[in-house]
Amino acid sequence: MNEQRRQILQMLAEGKITADEAERLIDALEREQPESPSGATARPKPRPKYLRVLVVENPGGDEPGLVNVRVPLNLLRAGVRLASLIPPQALSRVNDELSKSGVPIDLTELKPQHIEDLIDQLDDLTVDVDDRDTKVQVFCE
Amino acid sequence: MIPNLVTVRYRRHDGRWLRLYVPVLPVVLVLSPLLLLAVLAGLVACFVFRVSPVGALRGAGQLLWALPGTRIEIHDGQTAVRLSVR
Repeated sequence: MNEQRRQILQMLAEGKITADEAERLIDALEREQPESPSGATARPKPRPKYLRVLVVENPGGDEPGLVNVRVPLNLLRAGVRLASLIPPQALSRVNDELSKSGVPIDLTELKPQHIEDLIDQLDDLTVDVDDRDTKVQVFCE
Repeated sequence: MIPNLVTVRYRRHDGRWLRLYVPVLPVVLVLSPLLLLAVLAGLVACFVFRVSPVGALRGAGQLLWALPGTRIEIHDGQTAVRLSVR
């Protein structure tokens, strides 16, 4: 089941749309993405360009709070490259403070290439946290 | 591409929006003397902390280049702030 179909079904389950609307949306989705014949190669999915963080607080209340952040993935990559310039003596001091705080992470072992690989694999990341008062979504688009 | 326009929108308690459009290039040109001083201070800091100045300049440039498309939006009750970089 693809992601869009799953989202439609989720909206239906949450009562945000009716069954007729869900059926229309799924039909439109199928028209947009016809099933490829067996053996044919699927069209490659366009790579996401942005990381979105969406926090909705008190969604049905009088004064809902919203945090909506869209960050280009290239900005994350540039930040990682910039962070790789941190001198080793600063990293060792950070490591000392982290271990004092009970977080024994060795930042010198974290290479920029590892983080770049991590960012490259963010494409399929979806984090959904549904609480009674707060809803958090992290995804790439 | 470097950012062209930074838009800041602020909604006050009375519901009115305050919009601020900042054209990046003219502002950078106006502030270029200060910017030059900041770059010099940054270079000195690079030498003091033994960081490659070329790498730092390249990293800062990449960060600047990657900024377009950034959007930050915070709503809290009647107050709201929106920042977008184009």
